[in-house]
Amino acid sequence: MHPLSDAELVDRLPDILINHDNKAFYRGWLERRLLLNRCLQCDTWHHPPKPVCPECWSDAVVPTPVCGEGTVHLLIRLRQGPPADGVDYSTPHPVATVELAEQEGLRYTSTVIGDGAADVAIGDSVRLTWIERNGAPYPVFERSGASSASER
Amino acid sequence: MPRNPVKDQVAIVGVGSTGFSRQGASRSRDALVAQACIDAVRDAGVGKQEIDGVCGGLPRASTVVSMLGLPEVTHYVNHPPPFGFTIVDAMNAIHAGSADVVLAYHAMYRSPFVSRSAASDPLRRHLGWAGEPIGRPWRTDPEQLEGSPGYAAWASRYLHEYGVRREQLGYVAVNNRTNAADNPLAAMRDPLTMEDYLGARMVRDPLCMLDMDVPVDGADAFVLTTAERARDLTDHPVLIHAATTGTTAKNDEDQISGLGHHGQQVVAKELRAKSDIWVPDVDVYFPYDGFSFITLSWIENVGWCGEGEGGAFVESHWEKEANRIMIDGRVPVNPHGGSLSEGATQGSGHIREAVVQLRGDAGDRQVAGARSALLTLGGFFFNAQGLVLRQG
Ligand SMILES: [Zn+2]
Repeated sequence: MHPLSDAELVDRLPDILINHDNKAFYRGWLERRLLLNRCLQCDTWHHPPKPVCPECWSDAVVPTPVCGEGTVHLLIRLRQGPPADGVDYSTPHPVATVELAEQEGLRYTSTVIGDGAADVAIGDSVRLTWIERNGAPYPVFERSGASSASER
Repeated sequence: MPRNPVKDQVAIVGVGSTGFSRQGASRSRDALVAQACIDAVRDAGVGKQEIDGVCGGLPRASTVVSMLGLPEVTHYVNHPPPFGFTIVDAMNAIHAGSADVVLAYHAMYRSPFVSRSAASDPLRRHLGWAGEPIGRPWRTDPEQLEGSPGYAAWASRYLHEYGVRREQLGYVAVNNRTNAADNPLAAMRDPLTMEDYLGARMVRDPLCMLDMDVPVDGADAFVLTTAERARDLTDHPVLIHAATTGTTAKNDEDQISGLGHHGQQVVAKELRAKSDIWVPDVDVYFPYDGFSFITLSWIENVGWCGEGEGGAFVESHWEKEANRIMIDGRVPVNPHGGSLSEGATQGSGHIREAVVQLRGDAGDRQVAGARSALLTLGGFFFNAQGLVLRQG
């Protein structure tokens, strides 16, 4: 499979503001891989994508797949918001910032779907999964561990 | 020890305000700015040919120069909100000699997306935030925390980590509404009870409608000059005693290290080191309240109480009969009603009210004997700032 050109990427995700710093991240979406920047020089991860490593200023930052395991760190239940494909605010719509297993303080924000999504809470274990939104893959989380019950 | 060579060297000598409104939509943003600026310059008692600096958000400073026909200007700069960025720049410009008399302005203008009455104005159809034209509509997924949602997200963490109750956020909302009742410039002056707060519509749970500031139309303006010049202009100059802004390396909304390390701690540490006046000796306190929970966090970070204790603090300093916060029975909090009730001014309203209080011009809501004010503006990420103002 040949890598998607920049022009093809923009065609596949026409409404997303894509630039040279985040294009690898969005290419990852289309392959259902969550790619976050990791520095080859000092091994530090960062997100959102920046052109250099904020720790050591190396430009050897490489979009790298994360394992997808994490813990809910912040949680909003949206009762209103911008219209979005497949999003129902009446339920309401959970928005979770997940602290990823790779590094303390490395977080990714998305929604939580599936069993137990309605009563997900801060501290719950979740794992990455994918849905379709606007005809393209979109990274979300689902609850994973049994540890969540004891947290509450 | 941080240097503070500008301490007490720059004064605010004029204020003007249109007042703030959620109703009506017949005036342009620039008309509001013109009115506030003209009022501020007349209040200062300077001639328009003396103004050689212009600073503000929107419209562009050069537009204000031409609109007001200011003959020759040597310092004209625009800043993002909150308004502390503008005041700090004006202060530095005057102290450095870039300008002697600076006109600083801030306008708020509802976009049609936040207000039905603004939407009824066909001339706003293509305008977005603060009256700027909107470009191409890029996709905004609801799962991003950029801007306002970042505060709802960290509020969830705050309630979780410290066991703060929503009722304790409610004290901030009720306090500000009680205070706004005495402020003729305020947009929201009807009394608010704790029952109203707890029954309000949830928007971004854990925050409800009344935890979020109110979009308004209106403008504030200020005239600043050297402390020396100020003594010729007025018997009641208000001096900038200390000022700073602050942020940290991790300032993307969902990536800050935690509630214990963001812009607010940087500001509190720097401002405290620069100032001879601090908690608990200040006479009136202006914590930012774009979201109720920011106020509790500021109260903690300037040292009125410990981390996570802001909710219990406002509860225990609640003046029941007056229905408002009165720290140590002496220090009111946002006596103008703040962004929650006066209107979302990004801090210009807080600064204007501090000046009015320190001049003794606040009428029914005058804080008796107010000689110093602490202002901590903005939120966590890339917008925290602080000022200590005092009577000259
Ligand atoms: Zn590095």
